Amino acid sequence: MADGHLFNNIALSGRGGTNQGPMRIYSGGISWKRQGGGKAIEVDKADIMGVTWMKVPRSNQLGVRTKDGLSYKFTGFRDQDVANLNSFFQNTCGITPDEKHLSVSGRNWGDVDLNGNMLAFMVGSKQAFEVSLADVSQTQLQGKNEVTLEFHVDDTTGANEKDSLMEISFHVPNSNTQFVGDENTP
Amino acid sequence: GDNRAAVKTSADLVAYKNINDLPAPRDMMIQIDQKHEAILLPINGSMVPFHVAFIRTVSSQQDTNRNCYIRIIFNVPGTPFSPHDANSMKFPGSIYLKEASFRSKDSRHISEVVQSIKTLRRQVVARESERAERAT
Repeated sequence: MADGHLFNNIALSGRGGTNQGPMRIYSGGISWKRQGGGKAIEVDKADIMGVTWMKVPRSNQLGVRTKDGLSYKFTGFRDQDVANLNSFFQNTCGITPDEKHLSVSGRNWGDVDLNGNMLAFMVGSKQAFEVSLADVSQTQLQGKNEVTLEFHVDDTTGANEKDSLMEISFHVPNSNTQFVGDENTP
Repeated sequence: GDNRAAVKTSADLVAYKNINDLPAPRDMMIQIDQKHEAILLPINGSMVPFHVAFIRTVSSQQDTNRNCYIRIIFNVPGTPFSPHDANSMKFPGSIYLKEASFRSKDSRHISEVVQSIKTLRRQVVARESERAERAT
């Protein structure tokens, strides 16, 4: 391959659902374009902060975190792509991808992790879901133990989900010491 | 009794053991997986599973713009009659997802979802309480 790797059907997931498009991972960085135009993402190699892999149903998901705190999730990689891209990221960017695990147990209790502007709900040491705080329009404390996050609704053309998340709330017990005295974050 | 920890509680229920047991991702909409007693919620472009046994109530509502809303409330510790309290002793300090609300354009789909969650939940809760009774 001349320069880098081309993948044809990669889904970008985020607020509003998923969009398919071709993705190129090359010596300059990564680029992804929505099929049929619209959204395009370019991340320069120098701006890549961290890369993660997560096994998802029937596929692998690449997470890319940038220096300005943005985070992208690309799904549609085969197992053999993961090995190829690992050595590619190591050789070209000097980055060793981390491995994350998806929680599928269906539990609703765990821990909340904040990383950049991403909030992850972890069950055991596995990730159940992740939301971007950039999508949060409002947070509210209700009583002593409840934190509510309200989300912006994505009404753009890129949004293709049928059911859109409006609000989630967490119950934080008194015995939880993780977020004591931090009023800006749940 | 005192040997509670030895008894398998409903908190041990697991929706999926393996990632590839999840249904293939289709549309980004709330789905019910009867076989695994799970609901799958579209969150940030991923389908996130929850076991129905951990759901407390589900309700829906419609506004004048023909938008439909669904609210799913999960069991959290400290709620009266919550079967979950054995669980909060097992996992002290845990943060719970308490509620998730979605907006949908398809009210028929939402009322189907509400009905199936209610039915499935009722079956699972009945089975689990029967099992707990037999165990004591």
